[in-house]
Amino acid sequence: MPGDHRRIRGPEESQPPQLYAAAEEEGPAARDPTRLRPVYARAGLLSQAKGSAYLEAGGTKVLCAVSGPRQAEGGERGGGPAGSGGEPPGGGEERELALALQEALEPAVRLGRYPRAQLEVSALLLEDGGSALAAALTAAALALADAGVEMYDLVVGCGLSLAPEPAGTWLLDPTRLEEERAAAGLTVALMPVLNQVAGLLGSGEGGLIESWAEAVRLGLEGCQRLYPVLQQSLVRAARRRGAAAQP
Amino acid sequence: KASVSMGEVGKRHSYIVMGPPEDLRVDGRGCEDYRCVEVETDVVSNTSGSARVKLGHTDILVGVKAEMGTPKLEKPNEGYLEFFVDCSANATPEFEGRGGDDLGTEIANTLYRIFNNKSSVDLKTLCISPREHCWVLYVDVLLLECGGNLFDAISIAVKAALFNTSIPRVRVLEDEEGSKDIELSDDPYDCIRLSVENVPCIVTLCKIGYRHVVDATLQEEACSLASLLVSVTSKGVVTCMRKVGKGSLDPESIFEMMETGKRVGKVLHASLQSVLHKEESLGPKRQKVGFLG
Repeated sequence: MPGDHRRIRGPEESQPPQLYAAAEEEGPAARDPTRLRPVYARAGLLSQAKGSAYLEAGGTKVLCAVSGPRQAEGGERGGGPAGSGGEPPGGGEERELALALQEALEPAVRLGRYPRAQLEVSALLLEDGGSALAAALTAAALALADAGVEMYDLVVGCGLSLAPEPAGTWLLDPTRLEEERAAAGLTVALMPVLNQVAGLLGSGEGGLIESWAEAVRLGLEGCQRLYPVLQQSLVRAARRRGAAAQP
Repeated sequence: KASVSMGEVGKRHSYIVMGPPEDLRVDGRGCEDYRCVEVETDVVSNTSGSARVKLGHTDILVGVKAEMGTPKLEKPNEGYLEFFVDCSANATPEFEGRGGDDLGTEIANTLYRIFNNKSSVDLKTLCISPREHCWVLYVDVLLLECGGNLFDAISIAVKAALFNTSIPRVRVLEDEEGSKDIELSDDPYDCIRLSVENVPCIVTLCKIGYRHVVDATLQEEACSLASLLVSVTSKGVVTCMRKVGKGSLDPESIFEMMETGKRVGKVLHASLQSVLHKEESLGPKRQKVGFLG
């Protein structure tokens, strides 16, 4: 990995203070495994982007912008890279998340209507308070819809994490603390009206197939519950556009 | 008089799509059958462990090198694995130059994901002295030929290579001033072997039409819009799940595919274990096939 030359180099033998930190505080409080954090979604806020969306759920804040369609360099597929900034380290994780974003958004967009063109979706993670990929997926779909890109359906993302033993239950929409202590994590992306799963990414010690199946079901339910909020935000954005265009 | 004839490609597509509901594929396999798999270990002499897997036209070579390094800060009592995937230009012309880099990164990231849990490899056995020295296993995957179903073949090859890996046994000697010295054992055959019981294998299920198939060839992959990748251990524990491809999947299909993945995975692990043990029992005198066979 390329070194970060702009940062001041510490001494050769430095150790991070976390090694000497006192014992960790109590784990996250018990809660209803199916609770979704309140979501604030707003579409159409960036003036320079064709379409944009901002999504906030708990401590997670994502800003997404869409530009294009513009001529693709080679290849006839629409699509494009997504970059995520904020806290996560290094290129590897960003590339993986960008690929996950692309694979989840492709089924929803009518790519056939944009031959030899490229749509660029860039997601900026301002703060990661848990379920960052799910929030980025939802924001990206909202931004695409706001840009007027032809789509079959919106894509709604939902994160889950498996609480470690002894509880061992899947928690919907985990916070950062719950994600860090989790034994496994899963993100599902659903197209609510068509009831088709657009994306799925999960890893960890989730146990047997039945446990993962239960998690997927819980995630899909969560996605369906989020859908009305997103519909409302798009309607409001359209009204705002209409009102601004009038005088 | 106009006549319409379906081109070659169109006909092949319809054979591939209409076959699976009858449990019939173009090469005569059933929907849950793998192609013939050839596994050979210890093919590269200057590695700590290596394996070569041929799955139909897919050819993968994996080499594992054990080197000493410093443990990661948040896991001071464990060693770790590093994966690197190289898509050789021999595999398909699309990989020429930088073309194969994206696919290589995707495969490497998937490998990191499937091994990212406590039970796959016992990383504590790789620790030499906490916070100072540990074994780092550099797993290098080389794609020699691309014939469909890359992920499955790569995971089988990685498991075989890890099974074949032997890490030299070392001792940490501490003298009176407290300075530590690492001593390698004199006997070249005195090694630690890794337990690969819980190493997962990837099963890729491709959705073709209304059914799903295991171990798709290149043509079948071209007809499939979406696949589910499930990484499953011999005990049926799932360590990773991922949807791949441009299409979407029905939730019911996903549950069916997960069940199939578990079933097929168990059989795959059982046969791989028996083949690896049989090969090892033949001892150093066995006939090596290598690359010319």
